[in-house]
Amino acid sequence: VTDFTLAGCIQAPDGDGAAGGSACGDRVRITLRVVGEQIVGARFGALACPAATAAAAWCATRAQGRPFLAAARLSVSDCLRDLELEAARADCALIALDALHAALGDALSRVALASAPERVVVAMSGGVDSAVALARTHASGADAVGLTMRLWIDPAAPDASRACCSPDAVRRARDLCHSLGLPHITLDGREAFRAAVVDPFVSAYAAGETPNPCTRCNGSYRLDAMVGAADALGAPVLATGHYARRVRRGDVALVARAADPAKDQSYMLARVRPAVIERLRFPLAADTKDAVRAEASSQGFAAAGVRESQDVCFLGGGDLRGFLVRHGFDDEAGDIVDETGAVLGHHAGAAAFTPGQRRGLGVAAAAPLYVLRTEPARGVVVVGGSERLQRGQVDLRETVLHLPLRRVEAKLRARSPAVGATIEPLTGPGRLRLLLDEPVSAIAPGQTAALYDADGAVVGSGIIDAG
Amino acid sequence: VRVYCDHAATTPLCDEAWQAMEPFLRERFGNASEPHWAGREARAGLTDARRRAAGALGCRARDIVFTGGGSEADNIAVLGRCGAAQGRVVSSPIEHPAVGRALAALAERGLEVVLAPVDAEGVLDLEALADLVRPGDRACFVIWANNVTGVVQPVSAIAELCAERGVPLHLDAVQAVAGVDVDLAALPGEVTIAVAAHKLGGPKGAGLLAGPGIGSLCPCLHGGGQERGLRPGTEDVAGAAACATVVERAQTAEAHRSLLRELRDQYESTLGERVEGVRFASAGAERLPGHSLTLLDGLRGDTLVALLDREGFAVAAGSACSSGASDPSHVLQAMGVDRERALGALRISLGDLSEPAHVPALVDAVERAVVPLRAAAAAL
Repeated sequence: VTDFTLAGCIQAPDGDGAAGGSACGDRVRITLRVVGEQIVGARFGALACPAATAAAAWCATRAQGRPFLAAARLSVSDCLRDLELEAARADCALIALDALHAALGDALSRVALASAPERVVVAMSGGVDSAVALARTHASGADAVGLTMRLWIDPAAPDASRACCSPDAVRRARDLCHSLGLPHITLDGREAFRAAVVDPFVSAYAAGETPNPCTRCNGSYRLDAMVGAADALGAPVLATGHYARRVRRGDVALVARAADPAKDQSYMLARVRPAVIERLRFPLAADTKDAVRAEASSQGFAAAGVRESQDVCFLGGGDLRGFLVRHGFDDEAGDIVDETGAVLGHHAGAAAFTPGQRRGLGVAAAAPLYVLRTEPARGVVVVGGSERLQRGQVDLRETVLHLPLRRVEAKLRARSPAVGATIEPLTGPGRLRLLLDEPVSAIAPGQTAALYDADGAVVGSGIIDAG
Repeated sequence: VRVYCDHAATTPLCDEAWQAMEPFLRERFGNASEPHWAGREARAGLTDARRRAAGALGCRARDIVFTGGGSEADNIAVLGRCGAAQGRVVSSPIEHPAVGRALAALAERGLEVVLAPVDAEGVLDLEALADLVRPGDRACFVIWANNVTGVVQPVSAIAELCAERGVPLHLDAVQAVAGVDVDLAALPGEVTIAVAAHKLGGPKGAGLLAGPGIGSLCPCLHGGGQERGLRPGTEDVAGAAACATVVERAQTAEAHRSLLRELRDQYESTLGERVEGVRFASAGAERLPGHSLTLLDGLRGDTLVALLDREGFAVAAGSACSSGASDPSHVLQAMGVDRERALGALRISLGDLSEPAHVPALVDAVERAVVPLRAAAAAL
């Protein structure tokens, strides 16, 4: 029985969330007025089937007059139970709950909950690692709050709804929180993420570089936004499911290699500022992936069975070249040349060739040829023998050094070991040169260089420059 | 309040139907195919039912085949004409699923199904139909009175053009028998019609297939050869008796139809005056007398139905959300009604249970229910 008392919308609301419009065309909107910790007003809009309309009214009724975090605990199963709806109506109720949680996330930028020392915000991607991070935080007695950022995903991607940070991933994270009786907040980061991470990704390829969007996202977008959300929620710390340790060097908090070298994710966090690291906690620092997966299975988490993706999340399982072309990369066919400029063959588009790449060139030669660099401005891919890929030094830009070291271990891409290096200053802000102890093959401009001290702490980082 | 305005969905058993069927449930229980006294008693009832139904519908008694309902009658006709899934048939885009999906299933196996268009009122385009129906076609299938809009098709003209081309015509008359005069004798050619008793005050699970076209149907069900081999199985004499009775009753209910038409017109004129953003589908066409399809802007018909149900009114939506997929009625889509408006459809069908006082009460209830629904939609 739908109560329409709260039908309508709050003008200039503190939180505004809408959902639906896809498969069935049903739409729901929830608007909220928040004062202090309380949701003092809630209204719903709906053009939807009876079940979704009833669920929208239920969301408004149950949110109004409740503390902000109590509303963040409202779940699809609560709704189905209260309204005595059949399980087959879960999709209908979900539209309303999606709208409510979107409104709560939207309100976060205007909410300032009182500081709560025991509160821990847990960053959840919908995957198995963050699920276990949440469970452990909860089990430790902390006042855990789940937080998932919805990020932009290429709408043309084959897995647009299933990728990390997709609607499905958000719901999986939310369902887990709710099953433990915990609140969950969804932050809609789609537009900001696109501007902060996706656009620079495309630009970097257009400039002939091979960017690392994950280090950029962690370093200058996602973790900042989530620490900001933790501030709003009154939480002193943000726990994540990364395999990394947090260490201290004097006054500075740094990320360090995880106990399990096979799963270490410190490189992905290399660009994170110490002020942010200060706030982070890594409940999985001492674990192996297998142990974490086993723990998730034993607790029956849906995330335990989710396929792990190592790919760039916003590609959503799609291919890089197609993505770049769809997003304004003017990828024309051109020549494959050697370093003297002699034409050895042709390519269908220079996008997505990366230094060191051997496959896909289609050029026959006596000795194997590798991509040395791409020059998108000229439309050429330059190739050469493997010896031409070896470099003994590398220049970095946008460099940050947290400690004034001269000797470091430099990790120049995600899946290659670190090499000893000596730092040499260069003129220009944020620029320095690494003199490598031994030559390294296939160094790709645009990739992140993570600089470690002898104990595995990330003491600095930079972006590899074409030099 | 309990007001029933969904007679197009089904109707309660009327006294006449109960009296007609009751003797055959216990006293005259026999198997009508048996030669003994019990069989004779049942057979007499079946013969009587067949004669009465034929009289009411204007055909020979032997051209009545009692079936287990309207959908079954439609399927026997579809499969009886084109069960081999070969050749070509012509139909309309506004058929009941009993015909539409039966044809679609055969189309997957190779039958060529051509749909003649309807106009914005939901009336079949006769010129287009005349162009589409060709000699040699297996059959033409048309719904006589539409279950969504209530529109009555010009079946005399359709029968004539089919007869001229020698193409058998099947008419789904499940809704039509309640509201229009059905005279098979006036329709030329190999015509069949499908009828369901429960739309007329009869029991569920009883119906008939009638018309001179029956003789050329191929059997699709196999058994003891009952009902001219088209609907084998021990005859449901009680159902047949009730079916004949309600068909006779519906075909002699001129006064009742006039009353329903008055009530329907009163509903439409008062609702149109009192509620903004309302129009009535097919209002310019000939419709069943108690039938109105109301299109309301800015709301979902199925949600309106739920609200009216809470007030005690049983009405129907033009569409329903089936677990996350609201599909507007295919009938309205064929008429070119846009999706949003089609999802705001409310079907009212008056009949035996209707009383004059129901109309103002229903209008009041719709007027009340529309306000919060539109407020909620306006908040999007």
